[in-house]
Formats: sequence, C-alpha cells, structure tokens
Amino acid sequence: MTTENDRMNITLNNIMPTPLASIQHSDKSIWGNFISLEPGEKIMLNASSGKGKSTFTLTTVGMRKDYSGTITYDGQDIQQFSPDDWTKIRQEKISVVFQDLQLFPKLTVKENLLLKNALTDTYSEMELIQFLEQLEIDNKWNQLGGLLSMGQQQRVAIIRALCQPFNWLIMDEPFSHLDVVNTQKCLDLIDKRATELGAGFVLTSLGDDHNFKYSRELNL
Amino acid sequence: MLRTLLFQNQDKKQLVIAIIGAFLGITFLVTSIHYLIRVNEFGKGAEILGPNTIIVQKRVNNSAVLGLSKTDFTLTEIEKIKAEPFIQDVKPVISNNFDVSFETNDPLVPRFRSDVFIQTVDPDFIDVKSDKWTWKEGDTLVPIIMPRDFLVMLNTFMSASGIPQVSDDVAKDINFRFTISNDNGKEWIDAKIIGFTNEVASILVPEKFMEYGNEKYALKTDQKITQIMISGKESEFGLVEELIETRGLESKNSQMVVGRLKSIVGTLILVILGVSVIAVLVAGLVLIQYLQLLMTRNDYEVRTLLRIGYHPTIIIKQFFLYFMKIFGIVASLGLGMFFLFKLFLDKLLEEGGLMIDTSISFYAIGALILAYAIFALTSYRTAKNGIYKEY
Repeated sequence: MTTENDRMNITLNNIMPTPLASIQHSDKSIWGNFISLEPGEKIMLNASSGKGKSTFTLTTVGMRKDYSGTITYDGQDIQQFSPDDWTKIRQEKISVVFQDLQLFPKLTVKENLLLKNALTDTYSEMELIQFLEQLEIDNKWNQLGGLLSMGQQQRVAIIRALCQPFNWLIMDEPFSHLDVVNTQKCLDLIDKRATELGAGFVLTSLGDDHNFKYSRELNL
Repeated sequence: MLRTLLFQNQDKKQLVIAIIGAFLGITFLVTSIHYLIRVNEFGKGAEILGPNTIIVQKRVNNSAVLGLSKTDFTLTEIEKIKAEPFIQDVKPVISNNFDVSFETNDPLVPRFRSDVFIQTVDPDFIDVKSDKWTWKEGDTLVPIIMPRDFLVMLNTFMSASGIPQVSDDVAKDINFRFTISNDNGKEWIDAKIIGFTNEVASILVPEKFMEYGNEKYALKTDQKITQIMISGKESEFGLVEELIETRGLESKNSQMVVGRLKSIVGTLILVILGVSVIAVLVAGLVLIQYLQLLMTRNDYEVRTLLRIGYHPTIIIKQFFLYFMKIFGIVASLGLGMFFLFKLFLDKLLEEGGLMIDTSISFYAIGALILAYAIFALTSYRTAKNGIYKEY
C-alpha cells in the first residue's frame, strides 16, 4: 500500500512540445501553462485528435524529450533522472497504458503479464487470471498477444499496467476499442486499484467521460 | 521468458557463418601460436649458444694463405655487420694471447696434458646460468665449457689406457688444471667442466679469466679477432645466410641447418598466424555485427522492456551472456580441434626429425583467453551502447 509520504506530485511548467509549438493553444490548455497533478487526483484529459494526448503521455513519463519547459516529480526535474531513477520510477511510481498498447505480440497473454509482474512480484498467477476473468478474457491466458482483437489487447494492457505499485497511472485512450460494458468494468478495476494504493490517474479521452466522476478535467 | 522474447527474431544463417569463421580462425590462431613458440624454442637448452646464434670466421682462401688477404675482423667490419637490420647482435670471440696448457689433476684419472686454445664469448650469447659462469681474480677454480669432441678424445685416451670411459656427468666431476704463462711467468689454476658444446672447437672460459690472462701473461704479438658471434632476428635467418655468403664468411654447417630450418618453419607459421588473426578479427566483427543486427531487430522489444520498468543492465546481460556462450562454444570447439591437429602435427614433425616440445604452449592458451576477453569486452560495449541509446 502506498503511504502519504510516498505519494508523488507531478508539475508541468510551461511545457511546449516542439511538434506542437506552431499550433495555437487555448488559455485552458496545459501546453504553455503551469499544471500541477496532485497526489490521488483522478483526472480526465480531454482533447480532440491531434492536440497531443499521446505527446502528453510520453512527455510526462519521460519517454519524449522534445519539449521546452520543465516537468518535475516532487520538485525534481525529470530531465536530470538517470536510467536507474527511471527504472525505479517505472517499476514503482508511474504505470502507463500506451495508446498503441505496446504488448509483445509473440508472447502469450500469460507471458506478457508475468514479464511485467516479475519486476515487483505484485500478484500471483491466480490473481492475474482473476483479473482476466473480471474482464472476460481469461480464456486468452495462453494465446499469443498478437492474435487478440484490439479490444482484448487493450484489456490485457490495462491489467499489465496494474501489475505494479504506482502513484500515478497514465492512460492514453485506453478504452478506444472497448464497448460500454467492458469500459465500465475496466474503469471500475482501475479505480479500485488506484483507490487501494491512494494513487491518482490521468485518462486521456476524445471527449467521452465514461460516466466516471473525475476529480478534475484538463484540456489540451 | 526474457530470452525467448529477445532471441526470437534471429536469422540463424548469418550466425552460423560467423560461428564457422570464428571457429576456423580460433583453431588456426591457437595452433599457429603454439607451433611458432615450440619451433622457436627448438634447439634451446640443447646447446650453450642462444637460439639464432652462430660463430663465423672468414673463409680461408689461397690469397689468405699467401698473406695477401686478412682473416681477422676489424672493428669497422664488426660495426657494419651489426648495423644490418636483421642482426640482433654481434660480438667478437676473444682468444688467448698467452700460452695455455690443460691437464687432468685428479688421482682417479690418468695424467693427460696438452697445449690448448681457449676462447671467451659475451655472456649474453651463452645459454648457461650466470652464477655458474663467473670468475674473478683470486678465484681458485675456473668454470669451463668443453667442446664435445674433447670428451670423445678423452674417452679414446681412457679406453686405450684400460680405464672405464666417462659420461658427461662424471666428466664434470674430474679436476683439471690450466697452466697459463709467458716468457716472464707462470701460474696454475684449477678448472671444472660445467657444460659441453658441439658448436665451438675450443675451450670456453669466462670473460674475466681471459682478460686476466691476456693482461698478465700477454705475448708480444697483437691480439686478433678471427671469429665473431652473430645473433640473427627470429625468422630472418635467410638474410643472415646471405650476409655470410656475400662477405666471404663461413660457419659450422650444423648451426646453419638448424637456423635455416627454424627460419623457414617460423616464417610459414607466421604467415598462418597472420591469416588466423585476420580470420579471428573478421569472424569477431561478423559476430558483433550480428549482435547489432539482433538488437536492431529487437528494437521494439528492448524499448518496451525499458518502458515497462526493466533496467538496461538486465537486457545488456541477456545479449552479453548469449554471445559469451556462443564464443565460449566456438573457443571450446577451436581448442578441441587444436588438440586433434596437435596429435597429427606432433607425429608429423617427429617423423620429420623435428623433436619439438609437445607440451601445450601457455602463449597459445593465453592467445585464446585474450581473444575471448577482447570479444567479451567488444560485445559488452556494443550491447551497452545499443541498449542505452533507447534512453
């Protein structure tokens, strides 16, 4: 369980990704403004296509460096982090559901989940199967990731992101291929896990709030 | 699981080609270094002169007999020979310029006395331990190295006298005595044999003893250098032979034959060694290139692993260990093939009369370890650079 002391604050100070610098952004946009993501907040980041939702995800978690401004975790500039720091952060502080999911297509669902789970030994195999059951894909346990439908892959990617302790879960359009029922099940699972850890999440969306009561809504 | 993930995108054809190349390279590298060392060692210790060393004198022709040409070496001539690039060193063989007689001085051996000719050479050319090969004024015993022919002559004399013949070791226990003199004085000094030689026709004594005799009992004639010792560089004996021929010099044939044989075999092995080094380097490069290709093919897997929280060193270790295992198998196979070659080649050389040391050369194993270490370092650095570029 994450304690109050462990909870991490993220700030984006005057961030402007280089590819988006030539576009006019609104006053409410997080680009070019100061934004603080407070511990435990459940945030929806709402934007239309091409406004930089994926750029926000990758930039905020240190996977893209083509921006101006400063991003900090608990006051520390993430540009100064070493590979050791990033490894620890990615194992224990921030988990991500990528828009392109980034599963290993030639590994089975089981292997995809265990590969991630092995880093922190967060769940047992039985618990992982239970997660799959909740999302109705437990029959895919031994199937190759590349043979799953996009909706099934999204659910596997969400479960993989939950296989670690985290302060923040950053999700880039994680339900884009899911129906309403499955979206609700996934969101319930995510919310339950985040609450359990006292963690916050950022969910990027094309405008659909998925009937969830967020702490805050941000725009691009 | 990590291994399954990272090594599933392989084109094994290129890997097999690189492994075969590295295997052949390693086999020839170890084999050629082993035989290069062993052939160069051939003859070492069997004779008192160091390897690649011969004693030469000027060829005596009719004009020399008539006194029209000289048979001694001037210092300028010695310096000129020394300046040749294939010559390691040249030193004069110093002879006695005083009267010397040599006799047995042992109650167990019948009296035998003869006027003799003694010589000395620079200690660097002599393959005996320096603590035995020393003399200073005041010492009562002179160590000497005898021409083996002398032992044959002594045994003939013993046999004729009805006395059992002596072996090398027994001869080393017999007490001998030098009488050194000139018209003004005489001195007796005991002597003991410490070794034998086939290459020098005179009794060899330490330099200091020769200096002492030449200074204290010098005759009135000038001392001449009629023989010099030449030490050639490894595998360049052909050039030494050419020099001997062009300068009208001569040497004992046996010395020339061994030098020539070693030079030819050494040169051949050097060529094989050169080709082997190139083969190992090329095969190593192909393996490293294969590693780079493998990492490029796994670009997505590596990046994703880093993104989900794997530390770069865990991924580097996977690639590094995989290639260490491959090169380990290659090195083991190469070593095994070397042993098979060795069985065959040792027999072949033995039948050809080249009785080289058959124990495994440390340098050959050292070269294998060095090749492995260089490959390990290169593959580690390649893997490290490839993985860290994803950050």
